[in-house]
Amino acid sequence: MRQVLLLLGCLMVGNFTAHADAYRYSLEPLEIAPGVWVFEGAREDFARANGGNIVNTAFLITEEGVVVFDTGPSRRYGEQMREAIEAVTALPITHVFLSHHHPDHVFGNQAFDADILHALEGTIQRLAAQGDDFADNLYRALGDWMRGTEVVLPTQAVTPGRVTIGGREIELIAMSGHSGADLVLLDHTTGVLLAADMVFYQRAPTTPHTPGIDVWREELRTLEALDFRYLVPGHGPVVEGTEPFEQMHDYLAWLDDTLRSAAGAGMTASEVMALPIPERFDEIAVARHELMRSVVHLYGRYELEALELISEGG
Amino acid sequence: MPRLLPESRRCVWLLALAWLTVTPVAAEVPEDPFRSPMWDYNLARYLGEGADIRHSDTVVLKAPPFAEDATQVPLTVDLSAFPHAVQEVIAWVDLNPVPHLFTLRPEAADIRTVALNFRIQQASTVRAAVRDDQDAWHIGSIHVEAAGGGCTAPSVTASNPDWANSFGQVRGALFSPAGGMVGSRLKAQVMHPMDSGMVANIHRFNIESVELRHTASQQRLASMSLSESASENPLFVFDLEHDDAPAGITLLLRDNGGNLIESRLGG
Repeated sequence: MRQVLLLLGCLMVGNFTAHADAYRYSLEPLEIAPGVWVFEGAREDFARANGGNIVNTAFLITEEGVVVFDTGPSRRYGEQMREAIEAVTALPITHVFLSHHHPDHVFGNQAFDADILHALEGTIQRLAAQGDDFADNLYRALGDWMRGTEVVLPTQAVTPGRVTIGGREIELIAMSGHSGADLVLLDHTTGVLLAADMVFYQRAPTTPHTPGIDVWREELRTLEALDFRYLVPGHGPVVEGTEPFEQMHDYLAWLDDTLRSAAGAGMTASEVMALPIPERFDEIAVARHELMRSVVHLYGRYELEALELISEGG
Repeated sequence: MPRLLPESRRCVWLLALAWLTVTPVAAEVPEDPFRSPMWDYNLARYLGEGADIRHSDTVVLKAPPFAEDATQVPLTVDLSAFPHAVQEVIAWVDLNPVPHLFTLRPEAADIRTVALNFRIQQASTVRAAVRDDQDAWHIGSIHVEAAGGGCTAPSVTASNPDWANSFGQVRGALFSPAGGMVGSRLKAQVMHPMDSGMVANIHRFNIESVELRHTASQQRLASMSLSESASENPLFVFDLEHDDAPAGITLLLRDNGGNLIESRLGG
C-alpha cells in the first residue's frame, strides 16, 4: 500500500512539474547596452499560445542594485522575470518603474516588493479604477497562465525629472499620448530610451485610452528630439536609431486621416473596419485587428465632428 | 365489433387530412450553421411559427468578430445585393437577455443599409431576417466573440450627474448612400441613456420608436421599433432610396418615458 502511495506521489509530483513547465515564458534577457537588459515579447495579441508575453520589459543594473521597467502580463511572468534577473546579478532590486496601467505591463507586480513600485499618479489612479476588469479579461484570454494574478497598486508616485540611481543618470518623462499617463525612461548613461507604449514598432499601436491621436503625435515629436541612441519600444524589436518614430507618425497620420475622411463621407463604423490598409503597413503585425479596435475607441469622436447639432435637447 | 372498422378508417382519414393541412404551412426550418441553441426558439418568437425561412448571403451583416466594448458593438445590415423588395427587417442577438434589437419597416422609401450599435451580454450569433414581397424570410447571421456584460453594465450616462443637460440632443447630417444608390444616407445620434432595466435600481428607460418622415408632406418614409439590446446614445444610419429626393427628412424618436424628440435634416 505504501508503495502505491509513493508511486501516486511520484506521479503527482511528475505531473506537477510537467504542468509548471507548460507555463514557462522562457524569458531570456538581452544586454543591449552596458548594464541595460531587455526581455522582448512576441509581436502578437494576447493568446494562450504566448501566455500574454507580447510586451517588452527591461532592467538596468546600477552600482547599488537593479532598476526594473515594467513587470509583464501575469504573476508567472513577474516571478520568471525575477528569476532571470537573479541569474544575471546578485544585486537587490531597488526600483520597479511601471510605464502605464495596461495589464501587459503591470500584472507581474506581485513578484516585487510593493514598497518599491513606482508609477505616475495618473497610472496609479487608472490601475485602481480599471485593473480588476483587465484581470477578468486576461483570465478569459489566457486561462491558467494568469493563475494567482492580482492587481497590485504602486505605492510610490513618480516625480518627473532627472535622478541619479546607483550612479546611473536617469530621466523620468511624463507623457499621456498612449494611455492618458505614460512614463518614459531615458538612461543618459548609455543613451537607452525605454519608450514603453508611446512607441510601437512592426506591431500596430493600440488606442483604447489615448486622449487623441493629435496629442500622441505631438508627444512623439518631443520624444524623438531627446538625445538617445537605442530605442526600446513597448512592443516590437529594439533598434539603434529613429525608424520606429517614422513608422508611428506614418501609421497614426494614416489612421487619423482615414477616420476623418470616413466620417466626412458618413461611413458606418463597420464599413470603416473593412477599409483597405495600405501595403506599406504589411510589415506591421495585427494591423487589421487593431484597426477594428481603434474604430471602436475613436471613430465616434470623428463622427460627431462630422454631424451638426439639430436638436438642443436638455 | 363491425362498427370499429369504419371508425378507425375515419381516424386515418382525419390523420391524413391533418397531415395535408399542416405540412405545407410548417415549412422546414433550415439548420443553423452557427449551431446556436436559440435558433429555433428565436425564429418562432420573432418570425412566428411556421414562417417560410431560408439563409441568404444577400443579407450581409457587418460586425467585428469580437466585441471590443460589450456596450457598443457596431452592426451594419447591408441589403444592397438583396434581390427582392424589402418589407421588413428584424434583427436580434441570440443570447442576449432580450434578444430583439430592432424591427424596421420601410414605407415610402426603400432602405438598403441600416446601422446601429448593440449591447452584447455574452458571445453570440447576431441575426437579421428580411421579409420579401412573398412573405418569405431571408436570414443573414454573424458571430461576435465577447467577454460580455454589455446589457447589465450601468450606462455611462448614469455616472454623469449632468446627463439631463444633454438629454435629447440630436446630431445629424445627410450624406451620399453607399454603392451609387439614388437617395440619401441619414446619420443621426441622440443623447439618451437607453437604460436596459437590467441594472439594479435603474428602470428601463429607452427609445422604443423611430420614425422618418418627409418634412414637407409628413409622409412616413420608414418606421423602426427598438428594444433593450440597442446601445446607449444610439447612432442610426439609414440609406434611403426614393424617387423624388425629399428636400428634408424629419426624425421622430419616442421613449417609454413619454418624451418625443423631433429633429430635421436637410431642406
